[in-house]
Amino acid sequence: MIDINATLIAQMLNFLLLVVLLRIFAYKPIVKVLKEREDRIANSIKKADDDAAAAQATLKEYQDQLAGARLKAQDIMDKAEKRANEEHETSIQATKTEIQQMKEAAQQEIQRERAQAVEKLKGEVVALSVAAAEKIVSKKINAAENEVLIKEFIDQLDKDKIGDLPC
Amino acid sequence: MHEIGVRETVQFAGLTFNWETLVMTWLSMAIVLFIAVLATRNLKLVPTGAQNIVEALIVWLREQVATNLGPKGEFLCPLIVTLFLFLIVANWLGLVPTMASPTNDLNTTLGLALLIVLIVHVLGLYMKGMHYVKHFFQPFPIFVVINVIEEVAKPITLAFRLFGNILAGEILIIILLKLVPIWMPIPSVAWLAFSLFIGGVQAFIFTSLSMAYLANAVKESEE
Repeated sequence: MIDINATLIAQMLNFLLLVVLLRIFAYKPIVKVLKEREDRIANSIKKADDDAAAAQATLKEYQDQLAGARLKAQDIMDKAEKRANEEHETSIQATKTEIQQMKEAAQQEIQRERAQAVEKLKGEVVALSVAAAEKIVSKKINAAENEVLIKEFIDQLDKDKIGDLPC
Repeated sequence: MHEIGVRETVQFAGLTFNWETLVMTWLSMAIVLFIAVLATRNLKLVPTGAQNIVEALIVWLREQVATNLGPKGEFLCPLIVTLFLFLIVANWLGLVPTMASPTNDLNTTLGLALLIVLIVHVLGLYMKGMHYVKHFFQPFPIFVVINVIEEVAKPITLAFRLFGNILAGEILIIILLKLVPIWMPIPSVAWLAFSLFIGGVQAFIFTSLSMAYLANAVKESEE
């Protein structure tokens, strides 16, 4: 039952043959697949980490950009408002000045016309006075007549002259 | 196995071979190869079906080798995987009616055990050189007697443990079938289930002990 014979050697060789065959047909391909899977998983994990980091960075960048844009927009709006205010102010100022100028021009015109009128009036008065004087001189002068004459002249003057000019 | 203990022998080139053992060995090898090829025929990154089982087995044995033998012992992985697969198939083959386990023959178990021990010593000398020889004489030179006895005992215990378990299981199956009438299958079925368990356990024990012996030769010493 426990006789040892050449089967022992044969079994050793059989087993070694099986080791070689299994190594070729099963062990190597499976280890290769295991390695591939390991690499792939490691790569996937690494890629996922990288992607997450990249996404985080992009998000940060976008947030920064957004904040910057918001600040800039606020700035532009502030400036525009300020400028509009300034323009409004200057336009009001300009209008005021114009009105002032027009007022002044009108006053000057009035002044000039009045001066002209006074000048004209003066001339007329002088002419009249000269005429009156001629009349007086040409007549015989007595006191009473003179008096009447001057009175008449002045009455005439008052009657003829234009209302209430102060002169 | 028709008569317990009697083996059919053939003569070839002046040598005697146990014919049934050889045939059953080849059958076991064929089954192992068939399973391996079936499982690895269409390997995918995402495993399915048989690939899962064989992969899990190989991953488990690789882990065992990695923890026991360290990184230097990785090249022994195919040996360990083959040992386990062959032994479990061989042990279970005897449970199929009209079949016999190749491991019920001492030639098989002793052959495997001697092969392992031979590999251990060759690897030990190759990887550690004189240091490996020196460790038989430690802590005192006189300890060489004990160490040699231990080294001799290793293959013998390894071989007889497996041989005894499997042969006893098969003998008991035959005896139960003869003693118990056919309408009372419970003892046979119970023993068959237990034999299944024993076959797996013995295959694992043989593999684990082989790994432990190989670790002696391959693993870096702590000092």
